[in-house]
Amino acid sequence: MTTAVILPKFGFTLESSKLVRWMVSEGDKVREGDPLCEVETDKVNMEVEATADGVVAALQYPAGVDVPVTNVICYILKPGESADGLKNALSQAAQSVSVTTAPSISAIPPQHAVTSTQSAPINASPLALRIAEEHGIDLATVSGTGAGGKITRADVDNAVARQSEKPRATPAARRIAAASSIDLKTVRGSGPKGRIQGTDVAAAAAIGVVQVLAPTPIAVEKPPASDTQLSVLSPQPAASRVVKLEGMRRTIATRMQQSFQQAPHTFFEINVDTAGIDALRAKLKARNEKLSVTSLLVKGCAWALGKHPYLNATLAGDAITLWSTCNIGVAVALDNGLIVPVVHHVETLPLREIQMRIDDVAARARANSLRMNDLADGTFTISNLGMYSIDRFTAIINPPQVAILAVGRAIRQFVPDEHGQPVVQSRMSLTLSTDHRVVDGAQAAQFMADLRVVLEDPMLLVW
Amino acid sequence: MRELSYAEALREGLRQAMETDARVFAIGEDIGVYGGAFGVTAGLLDQFGGQRVIDTPISEAGIAGACVGAALTGMRPVGEIQFMDFVTLTMEQLVLQAAKVRFMFGGKASVPMVLRMPGGSGTGAAAQHSESLENWFVHVPGLKVVMPSNAYDAKGLLLSAIDDDNPVIFVEHKLLYKTKMDVPEAPYRIPLSQTNIVRAGQHVTVVATSIMVSRALAAADELAKEGIELEIIDPRTLKPLDDTPIIDSVKKTGRALIVHEAVEIGGFGGEIAARIAGSEAFDYLEAPVKRLAGLDIPIPYNRELERNTVPQIESIIVEARKLAQTAY
Repeated sequence: MTTAVILPKFGFTLESSKLVRWMVSEGDKVREGDPLCEVETDKVNMEVEATADGVVAALQYPAGVDVPVTNVICYILKPGESADGLKNALSQAAQSVSVTTAPSISAIPPQHAVTSTQSAPINASPLALRIAEEHGIDLATVSGTGAGGKITRADVDNAVARQSEKPRATPAARRIAAASSIDLKTVRGSGPKGRIQGTDVAAAAAIGVVQVLAPTPIAVEKPPASDTQLSVLSPQPAASRVVKLEGMRRTIATRMQQSFQQAPHTFFEINVDTAGIDALRAKLKARNEKLSVTSLLVKGCAWALGKHPYLNATLAGDAITLWSTCNIGVAVALDNGLIVPVVHHVETLPLREIQMRIDDVAARARANSLRMNDLADGTFTISNLGMYSIDRFTAIINPPQVAILAVGRAIRQFVPDEHGQPVVQSRMSLTLSTDHRVVDGAQAAQFMADLRVVLEDPMLLVW
Repeated sequence: MRELSYAEALREGLRQAMETDARVFAIGEDIGVYGGAFGVTAGLLDQFGGQRVIDTPISEAGIAGACVGAALTGMRPVGEIQFMDFVTLTMEQLVLQAAKVRFMFGGKASVPMVLRMPGGSGTGAAAQHSESLENWFVHVPGLKVVMPSNAYDAKGLLLSAIDDDNPVIFVEHKLLYKTKMDVPEAPYRIPLSQTNIVRAGQHVTVVATSIMVSRALAAADELAKEGIELEIIDPRTLKPLDDTPIIDSVKKTGRALIVHEAVEIGGFGGEIAARIAGSEAFDYLEAPVKRLAGLDIPIPYNRELERNTVPQIESIIVEARKLAQTAY
């Protein structure tokens, strides 16, 4: 049997690898485990090994080319087999053998593989290329049905038709999508055959992260086969209740797991004397003005972030984006989850405006009437659980951001003054979580030091 | 409060109407000495005499015709058809005369009659004694159609039907006659066209009629153990229909199951489904509107086949659960 050798996926986000050099030629005899070629990832070069004994045939790519993972790179023939036709089998073979014959690899995969922006050359007819360009179709997403996997006009026409296809969604989903200006094509459906439910849209609107749907519909939980009329009447235990992981809950689950597994979190805790904050709030209160601790924290963080751009950043693939403006998200608890509305351009806003905006988005968050804009483009997040009497806690970073501040309650405690005498201070715990891929300890510590300075002396905010 | 059966509640309502209004009389086959095929009129002959509790020959057309004629002269007849199936023999009187007279005479005449009839299967009475034909009458302008699902509603709706100046088709259910509940002794009236929310719940709206209301309630008890809460709605009067509570409920749950015993195709469930789809509730739907109703076959004599021809508690559980789990 002919064995197809595919390019293995060396990391979670790896989509392609550069083929550095072939170590065999067509016609060479190899044994299982022999190196076939060397490929490049972001950290180390890896060897792809033969997955069977036989004769190497039909090398599919020349050295120097970027090869999408799981694509067939060559074949290994048994004695008597012919290489005829293998050159044309590329696209189909990649689909069918990718799971069963994944080759072993001779180095430990790097933890963070780079996402290459290059991809394999597109094999498409000129007419298909033109139509694709007219309709803005990315041919990398189109599989060809022509000779040798060539993308034909029919393939592109189908892609165009799919692009304009109306998404399957319930009326409730359409209503919520229209109200919150969400494109249904970007929402992942949890209903039968991937139908988009109202809860899916509400979750997408709430979290502010609308992920493009994978083409495969997610499996629908079918009633068990034994679900006949008789078994239905057998008593069900009432001691527990099963709630499906869906909608907002699923989104939170996916994103928090992804963040905590992929971003190496480090934590930095300080306790801040709240005398300055308390005095300012008391003055405003005397004038019947409201200023919440959260609003002050938002402004204070923006002040400190301005001095430490690596904390006001997002990470996507191999690109760290440093933002020149502070869009600070504030976590708001809901009955069935949480949501992070964002206050944009905090550095340009007076405290009064920040307070008004936070009140506004928090109210609309609880009323489920946030717009996509309210949730987009956050660069830093604050989670304040002080009102729940939590002394201190740590938070999980909200990707693609690289830092989040967890705020506990203010506690009155004795601390020594300059003469070593005990005085009572109100102190608030702040715990910063940072993504060590982007932020090092010293940067985080300096940010926290500046945050302490400005929170203990909020008058500095005027500068 | 005392408990009365559905049959006793109907009898008490009829008796109180006859006691307070001399224009009210009962007419039907074997309703006098025998007390009616299901005993609803038992004892009325002794109290009111043969002038007001009239036994007729076996002629449903005659009963209906007599009711129409008496109503036109100012009486308030309450006719009984032994089995709803035999209403087939009254159609000319009901559809062409009773329903049309008031309109064709410009409102100068009216037909304040009630025609009671038991529908439904479950007694092994086979294809000619088990039908649920209520939707035929829903389709005729000028008729009202009432379908009580319990003893309390039966008495209150019967008194309102007798008061009404229009011909009212009053559809009872054979299996309900012996079901008991608390029924006040004093006369009371449940307005026609007033839909009843029988049980509140947030996951699936179940619109059920007649015997299906109690089956839906039993299903709701079972599903509540799984955390699925059904909202059960009984229209009570099919026509004129008060659909607002149904639409409001579907806006809340996003899911609707309609359950009736009558054959699904051309049944009342289609009307309810259309009202939901055509209303503002449409924008709140999270699943297709589902119907659970009788199979498109004559009711079989065999008891097992009969049972499987119409919705039962377990089939309501299965359908409601699927809707709640978004399996549709």
